[in-house]
Amino acid sequence: MKRIAFFFLLFLASQTVHSWKKDEFRACDQTPFCKRARFRKPGSCTLIATDVSISDGDLTAKLVPKAQQDHDQDPIKPLTLSVSVYQDGILRLKIDEDPSLDPPKKRFQVPDVILPEFESKKLWLQSASTEKLDGNIAGLSSVVYLSDGYEAVLRHDPFEVYVREKAGNRRVVSLNSHGLFDFEQLRVKKEDEDWEERFRGHTDTRPYGPQSISFDVSFYESDFVYGIPEHASSFALKPTRGPGVEESEPYRLFNLDVFEYVHDSPFGIYGSIPFMVSHGKSGKSSGFFWLNAAEMQIDVLAKGWDAEDGILMPIDQNRIDTFWMTEAGIVDTFFFIGPGPKDVVKQYMSVTGLPAMPQLFSTAYHQCRWNYRDEEDVENVDSKFDEHDIPYDVLWLDIEHTDGKRYFTWDKLLFPHPEEMQRKLAAKGRHMVTIVDPHIKRDDSFDLHKDASQRGYYVKDATGKDFDGWCWPGSSSYPDVLNPEIRSWWSEKFSYKNYVGSTPSLYIWNDMNEPSVFNGPEVTMPRDVLHLGGVEHRELHNAYGYYFHMATADGLVKRGDGKDRPFVLSRAFFAGSQRYGAVWTGDNSADWDHLRVSVPMILSLGLTGMSFSGADVGGFFGNPEPELLVRWYQLGAYYPFFRGHAHHDTKRREPWLFGERNTALMRDAIRIRYTLLPYFYTLFREANVTGVPVVRPLWMEFPSDEAAFSNDEAFMVGNSLLVQGIYETRAKHASVYLPGKESWYDLRTGTAYKGGKTHKLEVSEESIPAFQRAGTIVPRKDRFRRSSTQMMHDPFTLVIALNTFQEAEGELYLDDGKSFDFKQGAYIHRRFVFSNGHLTSSNVASSPLGNSKFSSDCIIERIIILGYTPGAKTALVEPGNHKAEIELGPLGFGGQHGGGAAVTIRKPGVRVAEDWKIKIL
Amino acid sequence: MKLTISLINLSVVFFYLIILSDESSPSPPSDSFLGIPPQGTSACPGGKFFCKNVGHSPLLYSSRVNDGICDCCDGSDEYDGKVKCPNTCNKAGKVAIESLKRKIEVYQEGVALRKQEIEQAKRAIVRDKAELSALEKEREAVGKLVSQLTELVRKLEQEHQEKNEDEKIEAQNEKVENEKSGPEENADSQIEPMKTSEVEKQWQSNDSPSDQNEKDGDESSEGLSREELGQLVASRWTGKMTGVQVKEIDQAKNDQENGGRDAGYKESEADNASHQSWLNKIQETAQNFLNLFSAPVANLDANQIRKEYDDYTAKLSDIDSRISSLTGKFKHDFGKENEFYLFYDRCFELEQDKYVYKVCPFKDAKQKGGYSETLLGNWVEFGNSYRLMLFTDGDVCWNGPDRHLKVKLRCGLKTELTGMDEPSRCEYAALMYTPILCLDEKLEEFKQKLESMNQVQEQGLNHDEL
Repeated sequence: MKRIAFFFLLFLASQTVHSWKKDEFRACDQTPFCKRARFRKPGSCTLIATDVSISDGDLTAKLVPKAQQDHDQDPIKPLTLSVSVYQDGILRLKIDEDPSLDPPKKRFQVPDVILPEFESKKLWLQSASTEKLDGNIAGLSSVVYLSDGYEAVLRHDPFEVYVREKAGNRRVVSLNSHGLFDFEQLRVKKEDEDWEERFRGHTDTRPYGPQSISFDVSFYESDFVYGIPEHASSFALKPTRGPGVEESEPYRLFNLDVFEYVHDSPFGIYGSIPFMVSHGKSGKSSGFFWLNAAEMQIDVLAKGWDAEDGILMPIDQNRIDTFWMTEAGIVDTFFFIGPGPKDVVKQYMSVTGLPAMPQLFSTAYHQCRWNYRDEEDVENVDSKFDEHDIPYDVLWLDIEHTDGKRYFTWDKLLFPHPEEMQRKLAAKGRHMVTIVDPHIKRDDSFDLHKDASQRGYYVKDATGKDFDGWCWPGSSSYPDVLNPEIRSWWSEKFSYKNYVGSTPSLYIWNDMNEPSVFNGPEVTMPRDVLHLGGVEHRELHNAYGYYFHMATADGLVKRGDGKDRPFVLSRAFFAGSQRYGAVWTGDNSADWDHLRVSVPMILSLGLTGMSFSGADVGGFFGNPEPELLVRWYQLGAYYPFFRGHAHHDTKRREPWLFGERNTALMRDAIRIRYTLLPYFYTLFREANVTGVPVVRPLWMEFPSDEAAFSNDEAFMVGNSLLVQGIYETRAKHASVYLPGKESWYDLRTGTAYKGGKTHKLEVSEESIPAFQRAGTIVPRKDRFRRSSTQMMHDPFTLVIALNTFQEAEGELYLDDGKSFDFKQGAYIHRRFVFSNGHLTSSNVASSPLGNSKFSSDCIIERIIILGYTPGAKTALVEPGNHKAEIELGPLGFGGQHGGGAAVTIRKPGVRVAEDWKIKIL
Repeated sequence: MKLTISLINLSVVFFYLIILSDESSPSPPSDSFLGIPPQGTSACPGGKFFCKNVGHSPLLYSSRVNDGICDCCDGSDEYDGKVKCPNTCNKAGKVAIESLKRKIEVYQEGVALRKQEIEQAKRAIVRDKAELSALEKEREAVGKLVSQLTELVRKLEQEHQEKNEDEKIEAQNEKVENEKSGPEENADSQIEPMKTSEVEKQWQSNDSPSDQNEKDGDESSEGLSREELGQLVASRWTGKMTGVQVKEIDQAKNDQENGGRDAGYKESEADNASHQSWLNKIQETAQNFLNLFSAPVANLDANQIRKEYDDYTAKLSDIDSRISSLTGKFKHDFGKENEFYLFYDRCFELEQDKYVYKVCPFKDAKQKGGYSETLLGNWVEFGNSYRLMLFTDGDVCWNGPDRHLKVKLRCGLKTELTGMDEPSRCEYAALMYTPILCLDEKLEEFKQKLESMNQVQEQGLNHDEL
């Protein structure tokens, strides 16, 4: 009986341990601003725009209540509104309290997110035209130019801002069309008021009282909306309110360290990007971004939600309405007109910046575990990769490598020779990553803490003392990274001198930067904690991790004298984090649902700028069965960021621990990534130049293919490859939708499949469905090496997939893989075009700015042509007019069986850096 | 299924082989598609490369060829000239030979020790078997004696009954009392069992979402200090228990342990040497009692009889337990030559970091630190052809698997535990050296290897001189 009781107790204990503690986090109806806002009725906004004029190149106005107010209410002061227009079809709408009217406090505007050069893209408005809308009594509107064919409109009464296409007067994006706009102005507390908020034993003093903002945003020509990460849910955002929607929370944007998050929930997790993209049947996309770092809640409204509110909306345009609520800050919003999906992404990036060009090694495979115990363990794992001939590039050390969770230190017993350890890895071209979190152990013998506290660099609690929270090291404080001076101080800590035991092959991982505070409300920092200039934590919470990531990345740049690209992985993120490095989807679980949800999560991140992202392969919590682990490697090989990671309670799961067969399968999966590294690196460069993400939704490449709009099982890697995971155990078949009109070639067998169809395919354990799109050329490197470093001089293979016109094209980008010289033009960028039986290679790089040039002696050793009628025997190579053999050869993709046969030009002997032409005779 | 292609490139005077492993294509692609030189390495998965490696070991994955890292000691894997590799074969070969020689020395001595160990084991088995058969005889004798004594005691009691009514009553009372006290020792059954429903309620109340959330919050975290709350939340990830949790689990664990695991290992150690004389003595005593039977009951010393009765009943139970322990011992698998027989009564200790590890083959393995003791596992069996000892079902890990331990066995001159490791949480691995693993076959293998290495080394030297 006792024993039963004991096991029962254990069972219950483990149950409580292994579940998302939903009630520890605030639901909307426990969050006063959200609860209030959700109760608002359409049309309740009475603000009208007055004093509309052009000033300093902006369209400006004051927002005042239309009706006389009740006498017992606080007087509503006029708000200031400005509409600015920027190049490439971007409208910026700002609404704030009028500083000249002496508000009790300046409302927070998020600094250092918008690119400095963005301001230079501003178009100075000269004039606004006024128009009167028929059928509307008070319908005066001011209209300004936005871009060719587009206008921005400010309707005065009631106030509404929207963007429209001139032709056909078709709307694109609008704000306050439903009159849900509300702006709680800061005011002095009345005697009988209680502003405090209490949640599970935590008290938020809220010294400045209510200050929330909410409004509705509508997207036109829209069937789906996407974006606003980070949530573990479907890619196309499901409605959270309205007809047919069960009781649902809004999508929450609040950076939180959620223990064992669930795989299908609008709940907020580690990062926040308040950027939404809409897409519809017309093939057009538009976007909306709200630069605000306070807690945000967003409802996606189901069609018909406004059936009874009597507000007239254009009915000939498919529309999706959304409702945005935030606790503090100002309205600083951006409307992006598209019209293509890639245009929207580019427009967003011109505001928040392009993704950083990563180190080549960081685009390869990473091996992580909490924790590799000691130097011997590291050496052993490293040598096992070699023993099993599995390539990897980076070995990671989690928190246990430190001396008592004091970052920048080493456990002297476990890691007595960190430099030698790193040098041993570096000798094989491998790198190491160590973890550096923002919580600093409050220990007077710890120099970092002494330094920070003496300088007053910690965030302060509501009483003005250094905030003292609990995290891994126990009692901890957090640097105030909102402050540029403190960020600069932090970045110095990464110098080789300050970070004792670090070497040039060491890079950094920022975890827990939401920030995670174990004894704080919702496991984070109290909202009344104070930052630079009296800014409350509530106002910048979602950007804390961003500033920390920024300071760390800057530290690595400084460490390398500005010559070495940083690599910093962060868990928390905000709009703009793409400029500083990679992110991953945090502490996922080893189950099939989490494997499945990793795809929409990565798609959402890519769409909103975070091109370099991935999920922990294998799942962080729990022990994956070997089949799941293998499937995860097969899918993870196509994530932009490819890392295996595991919790310290899990069994060891390095790829060689599950029998020979599984080792071979995981080796093949990892090798696929290495084979495709030249293609991935080219895509990272594309993202770095255009913002178009490495991993994309199908509809980004096929904007008019409706069947692709809500598909988040499959994804595109660049414009050429389509990949779909296998998300269930013992799968025999998979239904794969291949979009577009052209064919698709199975990467392993070369078999062609028709586009625009769902194919029921047989599935083996050896691979997941992956296809090359007809009309594309993919560069590969087929020689297996220990790590990407040794592949530098290896020859290339080109895989040409011909379309119905027997044509194809593709690109290849190459540079030194690590320095910033590419910014001076030290790179090779080639375009390959196949048409009329000729393959030509031409330069698409702009000429170098300085003296730095990148050269490569790499050759092309093999050209595989899919979809070419066999028969040709030789090819003629120009210049030089020498002949190369053509025969049927293996596709050579995906390891064990080498794949099917295809027309192959052997040893054409051309250099990748040069112009040439190959004619098939 | 192995395909071997050899190429000779005269200009650089070396050869290499591409070996396709069994995994490769069932219809092997022609060599031309392997991307083999003039300037390449094998692009075939599983391809292998032979270093010329004069004087040292040769096999290498083809992924190491021309990768800028010198793998072959003669540098023959880096023939594209991008890096210059010094020839370290001679040195490496010498080092390898030296280390092999040392290994052989250890094995030579170890093989002898192993033989001794087996001899000793054989003797011990003979001795134990002899003890067992002696014990069985002894049991027979003592058993007889005890039944006779029982009879005598019964007689004595009858006598007393007739003689003295009062005494009779007293004796009865005593008997009743004895019966009563017996079961009472089993304290466990007397303790009120924990009420599952109550535990359930407790946990549920902690777990259920509170209705008046903004005001009340959750009781389980509300009552905690800020530090306790921090530790509680941290413990979800770390699995390290906070004070509150430790108390709960400890309580439960004690309950479980009182349930009587571990009880089986207490043994009464019988003294082998004095067995024979013991048997004689018993027989003598038995004879004496036989004589007593014929005597009138009145002449008997009642107290002495009772004492003898008590002594011999105790003796009988000792013998029984010793017999069962020996029979239990013989049920174990001690290896092909019973070479592990002497491990049975031995434990091996290792002090490492802040713990002392105690591994007792055929019994259990424990980790002691400070005042606490953790069971790493109970003996299961040998594995991997007697090169591994396996212990499982150790103490439950909070939020993890039950602890278990694998002890790898290696040839060494002393039997000792040398390293304890925890590769995954609560999965332990240890290394133990013992002469028992110093096998003759291995020694021969090493000797042959040394011979061939010496030959290669000599050839290499001659070659270098040319």
